[in-house]
Amino acid sequence: MTKYGQAFLAGLQSNLVYRWNFAVRSLFWFFHLVVVFILWGAAYAGNPTIGGYTFKQTLTYFVVIFVLQFFVGAFNEDYQISEDIRNGLINQFLLKPINYFAYRLSVFTAARVVSGAFGVLALAVALPFFRGYLELPHDGWRIALGVPAMILTGVIQFSIAYCFGLMAFWFLEIQGFVILSMAVETLLGGQIVPLDLLPPAVFNVVRFLPFSYEAYFPTAILTGRMGFDMAVQGLAIQAFWAFVMVCLAEAVWRRGLRRHTAAGG
Amino acid sequence: MGTLSRYLRIWIASAKYSLVRATMFRGDLFIWASVELLWISVNVIMVTVIYSHTNTVAGWSMYEMLLLVGTSMLIQRFLMGFFWSGIFEMGRNVRTGHFDFVLAQPGDPLFMASTRKLELDGLLNSVVAAGLVIYSARKLGLHPGAADIALYAAMVACGVVIHYSALVMAMSLAFWITSAQGVEGSYFTLMEFSRLPREAFKRGIATVVFVWALPVVVVSNAPARALLHGFEPLWALGLCAATLAWFALAVFVFRSGLKRYTSASS
Repeated sequence: MTKYGQAFLAGLQSNLVYRWNFAVRSLFWFFHLVVVFILWGAAYAGNPTIGGYTFKQTLTYFVVIFVLQFFVGAFNEDYQISEDIRNGLINQFLLKPINYFAYRLSVFTAARVVSGAFGVLALAVALPFFRGYLELPHDGWRIALGVPAMILTGVIQFSIAYCFGLMAFWFLEIQGFVILSMAVETLLGGQIVPLDLLPPAVFNVVRFLPFSYEAYFPTAILTGRMGFDMAVQGLAIQAFWAFVMVCLAEAVWRRGLRRHTAAGG
Repeated sequence: MGTLSRYLRIWIASAKYSLVRATMFRGDLFIWASVELLWISVNVIMVTVIYSHTNTVAGWSMYEMLLLVGTSMLIQRFLMGFFWSGIFEMGRNVRTGHFDFVLAQPGDPLFMASTRKLELDGLLNSVVAAGLVIYSARKLGLHPGAADIALYAAMVACGVVIHYSALVMAMSLAFWITSAQGVEGSYFTLMEFSRLPREAFKRGIATVVFVWALPVVVVSNAPARALLHGFEPLWALGLCAATLAWFALAVFVFRSGLKRYTSASS
């Protein structure tokens, strides 16, 4: 087993220790879904469709986007990385033949396996309440394109969190930047409203930004809000952004190391 | 009267210290003020997008909804500006034993713990939230008189007291369970309900829990309705009763918890 496989297993164990945190997060997710259900239910009263989509399709969109976050969303990786830097724990990685990005990606993958399991559990609890309101398309190509889109979403989310974590090389406190970015990512990622409900001119700009590939894009494929041609084109754009973000993460790491004084640890 | 002026002097001293501290870390203040401004904007954009596809939500027009969102934000920003840091640190201080420092101060422990720090970024954004309320009211053609504004302000104050009480109760759990982690998340999740109109809640368990059991919907709907429809005795009395009940409960829970406090490692 490779060293990163070991990191994955260690990550799996350490994340299982925090299973209650994930359970609490699942509970919040359920409440958030209740808010979405009440708000959009009221918006749809008297309107059979909004933006060409039924209430069932919109609710399905929100359920899928929330579950997706459990599987591929970056939760507190930025904070963990910044703590490694602040506490000097990062020094041990500089002395060993370990790529810090690959190590952190292994731990992130392990964390998502655990949180994904809790996401499924939360879904199982929510399903009796929402089953009658869910409507998923059955086209096979949606799974074939949706799965790689989810993986690339994970890479983009992780790389962005990684870059923010590395800002600890420059700043003592990064939490403000993280929450600032979270607001932008949440909105432009389609977690507040489906992006296709934005005015067309705005949507045509937003769909080329990396944020829409952090949540909206795979969800739109899986829930039938996007056709085949647009999904293939989107997958190419997403792969481009994933590549850019990984390169950016490497560049920030190299620049950051130049400032690192290796105190503590 | 003497007691009141003494507490006022203590609070002014704490506020002065917080303001000096905030101006020392201006970059930090700018970032956090931007964070809150951005989150207010996210909510406004959400409302705008929904209303670009429909004319009403539960009988509320877009500007009525923005007035509700603004009111909810105003209450939240006042809570964050005046009390959040103090109450939030309370849980950690109980766990580490640093709560001794609060007990040694010349005043009621709950007052001393919850008013120690003023967060300027929250207060700056309360101006933005108030601006959203004023903008919505103008768009709706409302011309509230002094009495209406006083009623609205009193109801917002009641809302702040209810939120304060809920947070104190949640953080007082630290006296029993040593860690009240996750309370922040639960607070913000519950706050989402306060941006919904009461009429959006149909019959069901959500109405029982979020309208009647937890006053998260009432705290924002009551002041917003006061501006929109004037004085409604049922809403005003309901809010006053909820304020008194929640504050009394918070004081009781806090004092019960305090009896269990045994300094460090309690």
